[in-house]
Amino acid sequence: MTAPGTPHGEPVSVAGAAELGGHAFLRGMPDAYVAVLARACRGTAARAGHRFFEEGGTADRFWLIVSGHVALDVSAPGRSRLIVETLGKGDLLGLSWLVPPYEWQFGAIAVQDTMAFELNAPAVRAACEGDPGLGYELLRRVMPAASSRLHAARIRMLDLYAAAGQAGDGP
Amino acid sequence: MTAPTLPARYRVAERRGETHDTVTLALQPVDQPIPAHQPGQFTMMYAPGIGEVPISISGTGPGAGLVQTVRAVGAVTRALCAAGQGQMIGLRGPYGTHWEVDRAAGGDLLIVAGGIGLAPLREALLAALGNGARYRRIVVLIGARSPAELVFGQELGGWRRGGAEVEVTVDQAMEGWAGHVGVVTQLLGYADIDPARTTALICGPEVMMRLTARELRALGVPAARIRVSLERNMRCGVAECGHCQLGPLLLCRDGPVISYDVAAPLLAIREL
Repeated sequence: MTAPGTPHGEPVSVAGAAELGGHAFLRGMPDAYVAVLARACRGTAARAGHRFFEEGGTADRFWLIVSGHVALDVSAPGRSRLIVETLGKGDLLGLSWLVPPYEWQFGAIAVQDTMAFELNAPAVRAACEGDPGLGYELLRRVMPAASSRLHAARIRMLDLYAAAGQAGDGP
Repeated sequence: MTAPTLPARYRVAERRGETHDTVTLALQPVDQPIPAHQPGQFTMMYAPGIGEVPISISGTGPGAGLVQTVRAVGAVTRALCAAGQGQMIGLRGPYGTHWEVDRAAGGDLLIVAGGIGLAPLREALLAALGNGARYRRIVVLIGARSPAELVFGQELGGWRRGGAEVEVTVDQAMEGWAGHVGVVTQLLGYADIDPARTTALICGPEVMMRLTARELRALGVPAARIRVSLERNMRCGVAECGHCQLGPLLLCRDGPVISYDVAAPLLAIREL
């Protein structure tokens, strides 16, 4: 994988496919499926501040983060950008590539220098259409990631760290 | 030694604002101090003429002094938070069980704090850092509502320099925040925990503690090596009044710190 500052590296080689298969997100996936994904994948590295995608853009890629730290954000009129969530090592960056109309729902920006495997989404979708086994293996991994983020969002909605009750209710 | 139900007089030696509603008070005894305590224990803090509240001890010194961090959520805590340097308050205690941080010696100590739950854990962390060679790793994961509501924020650098791996996540952040955004359980995924060697100390809102303990159990950390600090309506501090009952436990005596194998079945009962 290339050093930060080089926006796109070379397509993942055979050796890189083993590295891809060792990523936490793909761990346990049969080698044959990893090899298919590797053909649609390349290593990428981004400096802090690099924007991976912008809200409303075409979700034609997704990333498996190897190191670093990425913020999902959204812009709001009259306010600085709001950070929705951050992702890091071992995480999947990008879910919208799997959900029509394949448009990013949020933006994503590197908070730290970040290295990742970048996958070509249309190619991966086509491979899944052609081989439901690969599609199932991939969804088995996407679903827990999505579920975990939904769970986290619900917990944050509870505002657990707010004072318990209104001032005056407590001792 | 003072009687266990009579407050000892302490004077506020120093007052440090932590957040908009939380202050840390350094207290010095005026007469005889309360007995020595262990990290995780609490005192009943008395605001003269207003009332008493249970507050965890977050540090010691100098001398027989104590450090306690208070969040203003009601009449008593507002009075305590407003106490200025030189003001007199009362303390009873120390009460309850403690973190038993030595149990983690030889392995990895994982501290997970949510909001003001960092206050009862601070002294356990300082104790571990003071004996850093006894621990393979000291990992501190902190969740806060926002960067502005992070307590002990100015101490994090010192903890890191002391050998702790410290990560902070917040629920709400604006552009420019370089830390994590999300729930504290998500940090567990980045911490590379070795479940067979980890002892976890957790303090925060009860929901946060349950979720964190569940995640740790899923990672393989034994329930008996997960300790949580529970809160109920503690009034007397000496297991007489029964206000802090949780099933068979009186938390002012049998808690606040208990192991998760004891806590889990009790926390699953809605009406307890």
